[in-house]
Amino acid sequence: MNPSSPMSPSSPMSQQINLTVNGMTWPVAVETSRNLCSVLRTEIGLTGTKEGCDDCECGACMVLLDGQPINSCSYLAAQADGREITTVEGLADGDELHPLQRNILSAGGVQCGFCTPGMLMSAYALLDRNPEPSIEEIRIGLSGNLCRCTGYARILTAVHETAVELNGA
Amino acid sequence: MSLTEIPAFARADGPDKVSGLGRYTADLTLTGMAHAAFRYADVPHGRIVELDTSPARAMSGVVAVITDADVPDIYLSAEIADRTLFARDVVRYEGEVVAAVAAVTPEIARAAAAAIVVRYEVLPAVTDIEAALGENSPLVHESWDSYATSGDVVRDRNTAMRSELHRGDADAAMATADVVVSGRYVADASHAVPIEPRAVVAEWQGDHLTVHTSTQVPFDARSRICETLELPTSRVRVIVPHLGGGFGGKCGAHFEPHIAALAKVAKRPVKLVFSRYEEFIAPDRRREGMIVDVATGVKHDGTIVARAAWLGIDNGAYMADATFFPQLAAMHVAGPYRTGSLKIEADLVYTNRQPSGSVRAPTAPQACWAIESHTDEIAVALDMDPIEFRRRNLVATGDVGPMGQVYDEIGALECLELATASAQASADQKPLGPDEALGVSMGWWPTFAVAAGAFAKMHADGTVQLVTGGQECGTGAVMTLRNLAADELGIDPELIELVYQDTAVAPEGPGASGSQTLLNHGRAVEVASQQIAAQLRELAADHLEAAPEDIVLAESKASVAGAPAASVAFTELVERAGAELLGTASVEMPEYPELPTSSTCIGDQGMGAWLAPQFSCHVARVAVDRDTGVVRVSEVHTAHDSGTIINLMGAHGQVEGGVLMGVGQALTEGTRYDDEGRQRNAGLLEYKLQTIADAPSIHTQFVEIATPNAGPRGAKGLAEAPNVATAGAIANALAKVIGQRVRELPMTAERVWRAQTADQSSTTTEQDQS
Repeated sequence: MNPSSPMSPSSPMSQQINLTVNGMTWPVAVETSRNLCSVLRTEIGLTGTKEGCDDCECGACMVLLDGQPINSCSYLAAQADGREITTVEGLADGDELHPLQRNILSAGGVQCGFCTPGMLMSAYALLDRNPEPSIEEIRIGLSGNLCRCTGYARILTAVHETAVELNGA
Repeated sequence: MSLTEIPAFARADGPDKVSGLGRYTADLTLTGMAHAAFRYADVPHGRIVELDTSPARAMSGVVAVITDADVPDIYLSAEIADRTLFARDVVRYEGEVVAAVAAVTPEIARAAAAAIVVRYEVLPAVTDIEAALGENSPLVHESWDSYATSGDVVRDRNTAMRSELHRGDADAAMATADVVVSGRYVADASHAVPIEPRAVVAEWQGDHLTVHTSTQVPFDARSRICETLELPTSRVRVIVPHLGGGFGGKCGAHFEPHIAALAKVAKRPVKLVFSRYEEFIAPDRRREGMIVDVATGVKHDGTIVARAAWLGIDNGAYMADATFFPQLAAMHVAGPYRTGSLKIEADLVYTNRQPSGSVRAPTAPQACWAIESHTDEIAVALDMDPIEFRRRNLVATGDVGPMGQVYDEIGALECLELATASAQASADQKPLGPDEALGVSMGWWPTFAVAAGAFAKMHADGTVQLVTGGQECGTGAVMTLRNLAADELGIDPELIELVYQDTAVAPEGPGASGSQTLLNHGRAVEVASQQIAAQLRELAADHLEAAPEDIVLAESKASVAGAPAASVAFTELVERAGAELLGTASVEMPEYPELPTSSTCIGDQGMGAWLAPQFSCHVARVAVDRDTGVVRVSEVHTAHDSGTIINLMGAHGQVEGGVLMGVGQALTEGTRYDDEGRQRNAGLLEYKLQTIADAPSIHTQFVEIATPNAGPRGAKGLAEAPNVATAGAIANALAKVIGQRVRELPMTAERVWRAQTADQSSTTTEQDQS
């Protein structure tokens, strides 16, 4: 149920903001205390961004804000007003998966898949700022994303393979 | 195309998961849906003297508040009926649910739950396993002897279950030893920590209930709902959307009945999504804390003559599914070795802590860490190489195990040789530094066999639907079921659509628990597929004028053996049949040789599976920072005997994930409690999982040995086995570097630092002077 529905108590702390998500602008009314993760998932209906800890520890909620990776669980939606947000749903080009998405799957870096969206966003941001990362740089770049299934080896491989692929090497 | 030739493992759920378009339970929203919040006990042990929900009911936006008074008077669970859905009179751990609220927003629900007034008469909390066994200990359950039980539950006061494992006369045999080594090892409790916190959405339509939930075992969730809310099975449907990991922590049922009961009162769908804090404190699936006191008598030549042990296992406040834990832990303390005479006593003990339950290879990582540490200590006492000591004592094909079982074709020794050779080769390439060492550990694990079913349909267009009660929790095991069916039918796995995770359509089965998907659901899938294959052969035999047994099925076509040119497409055969082809299988437990009943007083739960257990050897390369006690694991070399490997990429994924979970258990993952029994580190900031920056390189080899009592195609299962041996391997490497044994798990930096500065060890070695 939407918090602004007649059944919910009126909230004086509501604010009108514009979020540009994956290129589309969404005007939404949110309480000032709401975090970006929750608004993306609930008001905008993009549930690819996951919440795993609400503590900036697991990275499942990672999105890009003006190109920078942030834990959206701990970022106020109001602070993102007027800014560009990219979520996992924005990675594919139409039906064509981004090479990171394709490679993490083919390398075996996906099991339960719950960490995958956040992992992909961190990897995307890493390759954006460092197109040819060393293995050690990939490890540092993804160290804010917890995965409980894979032991990380195949995720590391996928990101490395993607860097090579995108650089045409 | 044969099964082993299928090159890559295509996850049918992969595109959903990488695109962000797949739905997990917390992603679901239903029209009019309200949000749930629980009021927890907070007090680890107390008698409820006042429970007033009226402040919550009075809040705007609250649509339902329920307590014990609002649900049927039913005691849970199957093995010991020691609790009710909501707390009744007495609370016994901090995360016990006292009341549940549904409100129009999660925020209002939480505020309303907090507004409920509960006052307690605080009772003394039982928090120490050994003290709990004392005559004068307060009881966690004052009326424990009035609870109903099922099966052979041996209990007394705070002992929820006792198992003993005896072979020969251990005392007499111990007296013949040249050397007796004894030690005490204490493991903290830990947690499964799937990255997806659990979620439940319950919706009533008339008197029919649909529950979407993040369970690993949907049929168990359905049973619990039916049992506690007194509903017929046929009116309850449990659907699991994508499941974001479980590791045992989501086995069975958890809060589905609470949310269903709330939805009934609220007259609207209700959704529960756990916070990470709740995920730590509330579910009845914590990995149990454990004390292992063990003594082993050996001859100078390394022959083990006797082992005696006592195990104290922390059950927590209520019985989840842990009655078999003492048996399991005893088997691990006996170990995959020729241990001579045995006397192992194991007590599962009630405390005022969160209930323990099946977390990935329950009891094994702790018990294995203890016994493999002990094994290295024996080798040191004998001045023998630890690998050689293991080599001399490992069980082999035809040996008689602790239960009297005669082992099938097994590869324990091959695992030891392969993993140690791999680690040594790496150390030869890159020599060990002064603060580095290699440590070895063996591990083993059974695969539990139960009944399961499957349906299969071949349609007129040649595609197949495979309906299974299997539950995909991330391992890929359910995905692999397609390969079994494809192999039986002679079609591309891509032509097979899996229908799963819905109790209304699938036949019952054990879901994602006990490494059982291939063994049990796989057997059913084979039979259902074989039924369709037989129909195809009959139809083709008629068409090609040959005997059905001469028909070959391949590439979606049937032909006569030796004459592949004349073939008929499956699509044409289904059309000739006039209706889609159906296969329905319901397979019982496989038949195992009977164990000699006099061999042990431990029950036989799951013990058929110990005929052909999975074996493993892990070797860890470890570096220690002597100034800080920080331990780094740079390499883990593993070898696993899990029978035939059906999907190589999936198998590697299981081992790699299991090893890293083992590294966490070894070094950082332990729950700390305050004196009253509350968790002090119930969050990921203080309960540290391993990150990608911590992860060692993992080098895995598989030992594939044809074994009569394995599952389909000789596969044994592989979800839990990789989570058994890693902590023991790290412990043994660590002890070599610092020259001291760390006797507590996890072996945190502080404990390592304390151990290397300690001046005495609690291991005792008695040399026979005669």
